Amino acid sequence: MSPRGPGRRAVVGAAAAAAGAALAGCGDDGHEVRERRKGEKITLNFWSWVPGIENPVALWNEHHPEVRINLEKVSAVGGAQYAKMHAAVKAGDAPDLAQIEYSVVPSFLLDNALVDLSAYGGDRYRSRFVGWQWQQSVYGRSVYAIPQDSGPMGLFLRQDLFDEWRIRTPRTWAEYADAARAVRKHGAWIETFSATNGNRFAALAWQAGGRWFGTRGDTWTVAIDDAPSLRVADFWSRLVDDELIKTIPDRQNAWYKDIQTGDIVSWLGASWGDALLTGNAPDTAGKWRAASLPQWKRGENAQANWGGSTTAVFTDCTYPRDALAFAVWLNSAPEAVQLLIKGGYGFPSAVSGYSTADLEGRREFFGGQHYSRIFIEAGKAVDTSWKWGPTVDTLYQRLGDAFLEAIGDGTAFRSVLRKVQGETIEDLKDKGLKVEAGQSSASG
Amino acid sequence: MSQQPPLRHRIITLSLLSVAAIYFLVPVYWLTVSATKDTGDLFGTFGFWFANPHPVDYLHDVLTYDDGIYVTWMLNSLLYAGVGALAATLLSAAAGYALAKFVFRGREAIFNVILAGVLIPGTALALPLYLLFSEVGLANTYWAVLVPSVVSPFGVYLCRIYASAAVPDSLLEAARIDGAGETRIFGTVVLRLMSPALVTVFLFQFVHIWNNFFLPLVMLNDSDLYPIQLGLVGWQGYADRAPELYQYTVGGAFMSVIPLMVLMGVLQRYWRTGLAEGSVKT
Amino acid sequence: MKRPTRTEARNARAAFGFLLPFLAVFLLCFIAPIGYAIYQSLLKVERPAPLGIGGPTNEVWAGLSNYSHALEDERFINGFGRVLLFGIVQVPVMLVFATALALLLDAASARWVGFFRTAFFLPYGIPGVIASILWGFLYVPGISPLVEIADSAGWQVDFLGRDAVLWSIANIVTWQFTGYNMLVLIAQLKAIPGDLYEAARIDGASAWQIVRHVKLPLIKPALVLTTVFSIIGTLQLFAEPMVLRPLGTSIDSGYTPNLHAYNEAFTSNNQHIAAAEAVLLALVACVLSFGFLKLVGRGPRDGRDGK
Repeated sequence: MSPRGPGRRAVVGAAAAAAGAALAGCGDDGHEVRERRKGEKITLNFWSWVPGIENPVALWNEHHPEVRINLEKVSAVGGAQYAKMHAAVKAGDAPDLAQIEYSVVPSFLLDNALVDLSAYGGDRYRSRFVGWQWQQSVYGRSVYAIPQDSGPMGLFLRQDLFDEWRIRTPRTWAEYADAARAVRKHGAWIETFSATNGNRFAALAWQAGGRWFGTRGDTWTVAIDDAPSLRVADFWSRLVDDELIKTIPDRQNAWYKDIQTGDIVSWLGASWGDALLTGNAPDTAGKWRAASLPQWKRGENAQANWGGSTTAVFTDCTYPRDALAFAVWLNSAPEAVQLLIKGGYGFPSAVSGYSTADLEGRREFFGGQHYSRIFIEAGKAVDTSWKWGPTVDTLYQRLGDAFLEAIGDGTAFRSVLRKVQGETIEDLKDKGLKVEAGQSSASG
Repeated sequence: MSQQPPLRHRIITLSLLSVAAIYFLVPVYWLTVSATKDTGDLFGTFGFWFANPHPVDYLHDVLTYDDGIYVTWMLNSLLYAGVGALAATLLSAAAGYALAKFVFRGREAIFNVILAGVLIPGTALALPLYLLFSEVGLANTYWAVLVPSVVSPFGVYLCRIYASAAVPDSLLEAARIDGAGETRIFGTVVLRLMSPALVTVFLFQFVHIWNNFFLPLVMLNDSDLYPIQLGLVGWQGYADRAPELYQYTVGGAFMSVIPLMVLMGVLQRYWRTGLAEGSVKT
Repeated sequence: MKRPTRTEARNARAAFGFLLPFLAVFLLCFIAPIGYAIYQSLLKVERPAPLGIGGPTNEVWAGLSNYSHALEDERFINGFGRVLLFGIVQVPVMLVFATALALLLDAASARWVGFFRTAFFLPYGIPGVIASILWGFLYVPGISPLVEIADSAGWQVDFLGRDAVLWSIANIVTWQFTGYNMLVLIAQLKAIPGDLYEAARIDGASAWQIVRHVKLPLIKPALVLTTVFSIIGTLQLFAEPMVLRPLGTSIDSGYTPNLHAYNEAFTSNNQHIAAAEAVLLALVACVLSFGFLKLVGRGPRDGRDGK
């Protein structure tokens, strides 16, 4: 049978349920899902904010006159693009396709906004993408988005200063704390703990083995304060208490200044950070290197991811099969991936179609180092079992508020996680969801 | 004694005004200096002095980045503010005139409701308005920003004050006796008499629309429809991925101030005939 | 009341014709969304499906629970306290400043008035977000030339520190809107007939006495007006804290009630709670503005003189 898509408020679940809902939901506010007839010309709306995205879109339009993609570049300031997407879903005029980050996929699932791509044979493209990134958009047995890019993490550092001060590149977090102390002796700082950077804290908890969200049957589980996360919190809490790191926000004006002057000598960043350092501290060219993330246990290889997006098909789309074809092409066809890399998006989610050299446009800045290898290796060792919950943006905000408070009045970061754990459970309840504290049953 | 105040007073006055002018102009000066810097110098050099200035190159970069999207934004801003303010002025003039010069039941009630409209916070209106506009297919179009912009409760307030003072009843009666229709009276006599107030309403509404961030933020998705400040905030928001955008944001902000300066210079002489002038003329 | 005469009926028809275009757009863009917001604030969502995924999202009657949720939110209430404090300090400071400038300009020799007036009014033409980006650069330690100058004078300042940041925002608002308020006041001053001054001068009044006894009483209506607008503006404080928030570590997500409501709607996608907060905000704005008007003994209509 041909899969029937759901109406606006209908089901994104199994195909049978979807068909039923489509029948029920195709009233005045429902809409039709169709297969494109041969030769029929259609236009699909696509919202994205990737710089340079217009190039692959133009290439597609050149070769696919029947399925024209109408690109709308949206502004990604403070998550406003998602608010608009949610509002558009509510109003029934969501785009056909949109770029959304991995972490917000579940929030759109709550609105029944995403097409179950498995119903259109989406699963057969799995092998074209990095495994854990594909897995990020799998909920239940269905995949809801095609991965676009990711941000495997690493440690950017001023090798010249580390060498001059005879500080070894830290391999473990214990060594990292020692290095922080040593750097401080020279009047500089190793890093800043940015209270409002929830993404990075989540990534570090992820690396440590934390599992913030999960499911148990029909219930969401929340464990912001699980043991690995508390360990990460304690670690940074101590560094802040000992005044070994700054507490200014990262990737903001003051931080850029510190990066330029060498007041801050390293950064726990992600693959996309090369452009950021190069552009903001051009005078430090040649002095930087990238290294792997420090480990909690020597010799381990646990990695983390910070950022990354998908291309998702929205349930308002009338021609999901064509939308899926475009999403897959955009993110895995070599000619498209090349153009995306050129435009400067994150790390490709596609496993082939480019060479490491393509990813190293800024090698001189890193003293000729093949720095992308660090991130490629990191990308392979990211734990695939991490799942995002339906209120991640709120969670980041709550973490930010609580960390600000804790830094202001000197309480331990442990209490932050406990507090946010409680708040997050309330947030999920407010969304009308079943929720409990603790690990998911399928953890492992 | 002459009309001139004593010299001592004039010096004190002038120096106080100068200090105030420094306060208001220092950030503008900073903006001017910074518009000549690249991203590295923006963060790395003293803010109040030039470093390796290439103003023409940098401003050219701003204008041509992303296929000249900046120019599109600028034109959009001018369109929203110009057309919106013009329509708002006409609507306010008509409504203010009606409220001032006609006696009818519910007049004060209507006026009070309009005034209360001033008190409603933008965030309270934006999202429901977006949903309403989406239903009728207006969201993400020029209309989505233009239509709400033509409402100026404050403009109605000003026009009512002004009309009640500056439009003599006797003149209206005379025109009516001559057999002129109400529309014609409004079009020929009233608008002319109210013109000082209308310039003020136009100016304030122009700036109001020009400065409005929230409405376009909520209403527009397509960056081709953005007004200038929404586009600039978008650039700044993406600057952590594409650092040259810091430089473009600052340069773009600098250029966005220019139209307003021109507008104020041109309309300067109309300020003299102030909006409250009519209120004591009677 | 007597029955309307034919002229009055014709009058009403004409008046309605003039009012109609404005009222139509006003209804669409003000009244309808407010009604919609009130309606939304009385609903909540339920997602009965497993994990809330793949099932219907039902909007059900919530009574006043969104309101109690908002009022129990400490951050939201704190935000109100913060903007009230802000308003109590910033609004008078700005208006005194604006009045002083208006009076000085009124007294200054004509040659320079144009330049100064433009200079003072210029910031009003810079959008709030741009102004905040701009001042942000002037606040951040390490970049700000102001901090640098203060440092070299041995004065440690942190514009974005916990205690200072509210006043740093106040400065941006003052910078932006003093000129605007000044202009409204100048307009009123210009309306004072010159012979009034002449009479006062002949009576032997000093410049200060003229200000005190002639000018200030005459600009009172304009001051009332600007005060009301400033109070409303204060309660709607949004762009400045939003732009400054990422720059420092002192502004949380509920720094002002408007920011809180925005984040409820736009970060957390809780439109129903956001709608309740917006309605509360509008209520407070109305109460404060009308309260102020009552306090100074003028209804808003009395701003209309000359009858």
